[in-house]
Amino acid sequence: MNKGKILAGLDLGHVNTKVIIIREQEILGYVTVPTGFDVVAAAQTALNNALDNVGISCSELAGIVATGIFRDMIKGPPLNITRTIPEYVADAKGALFLNKNSRTVIDIGGNIQKAVSYDQDGNLLDVIQNDKCADGLGIFYTTMAKAFGVNEQGLSELALKSTKHVSVAIHCAASAESEAIDLMCQGIDIADVADALTRFIVERVAAMCITMPLEPEIVVAGGLAKSKALIKYFPVLLKQDVSVLNLPEYLGAIGAVMSYDGGK
Amino acid sequence: MNEHEYVSMNEWLDWTRAKAIVAGVDVGAVSSKAVILLDRQLYAFSQVKTRMPKESAFKAINAVLAKTHLKLENIHYIVGTGCGSMQVTFASKRVTEIACGAAGAVHIWGPSVHTVLDAGGQSCKVIHCTEKGRATDFLWNDKCAVGIGRSLETFADLVKKEVTEIGRIALQSDSFPKISDFCVVYTQSEALDLIRSKVPLEQVIAAYHYAMAKRISILVGRSGLKKDFAIIGGVAKNPGIIGWLESHLKVNRLPPKPEWDPLFTTALGAALFADAFYRWQ
Repeated sequence: MNKGKILAGLDLGHVNTKVIIIREQEILGYVTVPTGFDVVAAAQTALNNALDNVGISCSELAGIVATGIFRDMIKGPPLNITRTIPEYVADAKGALFLNKNSRTVIDIGGNIQKAVSYDQDGNLLDVIQNDKCADGLGIFYTTMAKAFGVNEQGLSELALKSTKHVSVAIHCAASAESEAIDLMCQGIDIADVADALTRFIVERVAAMCITMPLEPEIVVAGGLAKSKALIKYFPVLLKQDVSVLNLPEYLGAIGAVMSYDGGK
Repeated sequence: MNEHEYVSMNEWLDWTRAKAIVAGVDVGAVSSKAVILLDRQLYAFSQVKTRMPKESAFKAINAVLAKTHLKLENIHYIVGTGCGSMQVTFASKRVTEIACGAAGAVHIWGPSVHTVLDAGGQSCKVIHCTEKGRATDFLWNDKCAVGIGRSLETFADLVKKEVTEIGRIALQSDSFPKISDFCVVYTQSEALDLIRSKVPLEQVIAAYHYAMAKRISILVGRSGLKKDFAIIGGVAKNPGIIGWLESHLKVNRLPPKPEWDPLFTTALGAALFADAFYRWQ
């Protein structure tokens, strides 16, 4: 339906703003910038950078579709948004585009985790989102990496080196950090603490998923999906196989493009 | 040297003439502190960021040793304290941060102190003590108030200000929106939402400090406050939290002594214990 048209998808998340440029089924380019406090500026920067990378001008875009928590804040000028869609819809459409056999997507972002199940056409069947005390696990992951003096990739590598099983018990991210410090104060190896923290995040996600049947195939997306240390716990704790989508952090942006309806 | 790495000494004292050279090392969740006393007089102190507790304990003591040209074996007695006290492997004894906080506060402010609020990086506690600085009772923060010090740092980072300046900014606004004060994570997330909805930054910073101070005041209120009231720990250096806390509690704290940084109070208490243990030997 979008024959030859070039479309942009914007995903305005708590932490990052993601933009993807797609021509029909082909991904031309993508860019991530921190959302910061000026949502409109972040969206504009991300869009301009992505267009520059691809080498096309804004006027060549047939449409821009926005999703993400702050999507309504960019509706007015200067951006010319064709349509905004809820994150759940974008997640389902995006996951289906990236893996047509998928029926459930688990999206672990900076501030919110959600699981969405859908049929083969991308129609939503069920949705579940974290409760408030499990908010901000993505930001928590970054904070802990900083506290350990490494980056996100480094935290994952550190956790994979763990040899001993320790755990943090409480379900809130702030308390988990406090427990992590207690563990380190008892002389527990930093790799084992990193492992405990990544497992804690997956435990929270698994706990959220208990009330919803997860139809296979299950795919995982969102920024945290890039952590190998984290992903390794999904099959164990969900007792089901999962795979990680390509470009996991662009799931929402891709889904936004897939929801383009011709600008009606 | 930044805010997190700091070392200072009293050049007028000479350790070679001292009878008792003792040290207190306080390994906290966010920073590790070391204090050296010569015959109960402050000689040197240092602060480093806590990464791995064991290394940080060494880093803190090594910083003062380097500055004063003392060697570890010159120190007669060392006491470790703080949540990482187990990792102060070179200490002769460990004393809880509750006992050390009370001892340090009474040493600084004198025997009139009866309630000490220790507001640190990860935990917040209210300590009741006798005029001799002996802790008689304490109340630890409940879980939803964990990490107030750390979250102040994170918040300062997010609004692109120094942790040392946000407290002053917090006192510049008289009217500001009220945000939830139950959970520190939610206070922060609501504050960030205010910024995105274009509420002026000074007002958001005020709202955030107001809520955090409310959270602490609930804790102090629950433990019962007996005057005089002293505040120690890193958060004591934030005028925004202190200002709003005093107005919530309707009690003023004892003003800080210029010669004492409240951050070092617990390490000082540990050093005082070290001095006493050394003399009893």
